[in-house]
Amino acid sequence: MRLSIDKLSKAYGFLWALRDIHLELQSGQLVALLGPNGAGKTTLLKLFAGLILPTAGSIQLDGATFAPGALDLRRKVGLLSPADHLYENLTVSENLRFFASLYRRRHSPAALVQTLESVNLGPRRDDYVANLSSGMKCRLSIAKWQLLQPELLLLDEPYGVLDGSGVDLLEGFLRAHCAGGGVVIMASHHVSRVLQLCSHALILHQGRLTFNEAKQQPWPSFDRAFSEFLPHGGS
Amino acid sequence: MSLLSETFLLLRKDLLLELRRRDSLLTMFFFGTLLLFVFHFSFDLPPDKVAEMTPALLWLAFLFTGTLGLAQLFNAERENHCLDALLLSPLDRGALFLAKTSFNLILMVLVEIVVIPLFWILFNLNSWNLLPQLFLVTFLGTVGFCVLGTIMAAITLKARARELLLPLILFPLMIPIILATIRCMENVLRTGELGDALPWLRLLLGFDVIFLTLGVLIFDWVIES
Repeated sequence: MRLSIDKLSKAYGFLWALRDIHLELQSGQLVALLGPNGAGKTTLLKLFAGLILPTAGSIQLDGATFAPGALDLRRKVGLLSPADHLYENLTVSENLRFFASLYRRRHSPAALVQTLESVNLGPRRDDYVANLSSGMKCRLSIAKWQLLQPELLLLDEPYGVLDGSGVDLLEGFLRAHCAGGGVVIMASHHVSRVLQLCSHALILHQGRLTFNEAKQQPWPSFDRAFSEFLPHGGS
Repeated sequence: MSLLSETFLLLRKDLLLELRRRDSLLTMFFFGTLLLFVFHFSFDLPPDKVAEMTPALLWLAFLFTGTLGLAQLFNAERENHCLDALLLSPLDRGALFLAKTSFNLILMVLVEIVVIPLFWILFNLNSWNLLPQLFLVTFLGTVGFCVLGTIMAAITLKARARELLLPLILFPLMIPIILATIRCMENVLRTGELGDALPWLRLLLGFDVIFLTLGVLIFDWVIES
């Protein structure tokens, strides 16, 4: 899988949320998307997900351009937004079945149960999503994307609602996803956790991509960029 | 997956959610019934005015009741950003339009099945044999209302004052449907048959077909912009 972003810009009215982003990502990369609040991280994820259209530039997935109506490309992209994108008045298993049908993924009932067991939601499969905690909803989202198997998985601040075992579960899933040839882009403010996990880091600042490098050990260029743009960030 | 199977999948989900919450149907049913009683106690219609006045009153009740349903049409998708989850998926946007239109149509027809006979009783209309023709006309008018209403509900989905905006932009566009339906019903009540009202019925059919096709074709633009 290859993701190419060329001269990507997004404006909301007169405000440029993103300017001239160039990026090339390959299979197996786990990318940390960092930056202060308002840097444009969520806008970039929404553009990758096709939920908003760019003002200029293009996003290509395996050579095919993201455009309205490019429905086949959408099957390749997933957005894990913790505790979101689930129907509250459907049960845990009904949600999974609904989204699996929507993505035309056929799974046996046993596979569905097994996926729920893997995120420790097996005993809650007949509960309404409305009755789950935020952490459990996030676990259900992980189960959902395990089933749907997108090639490009986007995550927006996934750590906030998960407990310790939930974080281990998420990181195991992301590592397996990349090992299987997928690409992960994760926006987060939990810098130290993300840096341990990622193979690549991007820093956005005021809508511009100011840092784009593969992980090194040690990583002085990242430390410089990080201290310049996130002087008070926790690490 | 074909357009129809996607439509069925979404419609099934909406019906299941409505069955569990029951908020749209119950609200529409009680509001429609309430309006009938208000009309009943407000108007004392002389027998020669019944054919002229009752279709307009009945459609006024359907318009207000239907608008109430339309305002809640995307409620399930607003919760937890589920609309984004649908737009993120490879779902044909035309299927979303057809599912939402069908869902609203089912609710409206269920309300009409109760409201029309009640209206007959309250206004002492004895022409029960005309009910099948009136149901046909009402159904065609309701299809038009739901088709146009779903497009407008999607347009106003992200507006701040959507509950106010929806009727403001929907009602003027509904004038051809309301006019055609009322003329057809009036003719049936007066003469016992559609007869002279056939051009209005054709207009109604044409309106339904054109906007249904248009809705399927433009809904991706409507919902994504």
